[in-house]
Amino acid sequence: MSEKRAIIAEHIFLINYSDSIFEKEINKFPETEVDSIDMYIKIMGNYGTPFFNYDMKIKLTSNEIIFQRNDYLIEVKADYSEAKIYVNNDFALKHAMMNLYSCYIVYRKWGLLLHSSCVIDQNKAHLFTGYSGAGKSTAAKLSNPRILLSDEASIIKIQGNEITVFDSPFRSETESHAKNLTAGIGSIQLLIQSNQNKRELLKKSDALMQLMDKVFYWAHNREDTKNILQLMQQLVQNTPVYELYFQKNESFWELIS
Amino acid sequence: MCKYIKKSNVEATLLDNEWILLNVDQFTVTKVNQLGGYCWDLLNEVQTLNELYRSIRVQFPESEELTINDIEQYLTQLIECGLVEHDI
Repeated sequence: MSEKRAIIAEHIFLINYSDSIFEKEINKFPETEVDSIDMYIKIMGNYGTPFFNYDMKIKLTSNEIIFQRNDYLIEVKADYSEAKIYVNNDFALKHAMMNLYSCYIVYRKWGLLLHSSCVIDQNKAHLFTGYSGAGKSTAAKLSNPRILLSDEASIIKIQGNEITVFDSPFRSETESHAKNLTAGIGSIQLLIQSNQNKRELLKKSDALMQLMDKVFYWAHNREDTKNILQLMQQLVQNTPVYELYFQKNESFWELIS
Repeated sequence: MCKYIKKSNVEATLLDNEWILLNVDQFTVTKVNQLGGYCWDLLNEVQTLNELYRSIRVQFPESEELTINDIEQYLTQLIECGLVEHDI
């Protein structure tokens, strides 16, 4: 067994893993010396079959929540103090960690993991979200040389009217180069590819409706689902959300900066 | 006559004078306008169709074209969205 004390945003995880094939994925989480552990995680291999779809089974017992996909299984204590993760491969491990982390921060009423890329411009975090193929990673690539906080899943801390975006280790195409970086939120863009650039502010109620299905979350109990609504309400109350019609070049930044 | 009441597994939040209703078991969200929000508020207690219709006409006197059938259709939609149920 190997061990790593890792930090994701403000949360410390003591990760034990059985197989060195997981090291590449686990090394994406920065190491920390901080003593206080938020969750103990044990990772084991040889589970299930390679990924074939996103179907998830969720089971609640008196003291555990169990998330099961064909390529991973998570058993987590109801108070999120300990988790065991069984995975098929490193792809499954990445998704299992996202699953676990997302549910954990909602349980703690700390924040949300949003399906989006995030770019820093003039010290503010600007998020780009939308359905698959809308252009989240394209917008991120077109934002060079600005710093990316995420290209797939943005970690958003929501505490009252203070909204902060953290550097995300949950990435698809890019690597994190600024692991301790955070930025106050500037805006959220719902992406629509177009032959002209245009940005329209959404009503807060429409923004909430549009963003609800962009949260990485698997509903499993009423309290946590209520937390999502409260967090989302605070997010849209304190953040302008736009529809961004954009051409596939960097000119859309003229509408944001 | 049918009676209606809101379901207990629904959380509501008000934004820009519009109610967002979340069924916490299905993780589905529905947005209703001001009239719908008023209706939703009344459904804290059991309401018949006639009671709802009368209250709405008093609260929104300008909604002259609204019929009792419109309200019944609206309630059917709310039932389909998992937000309201028949009180038996």
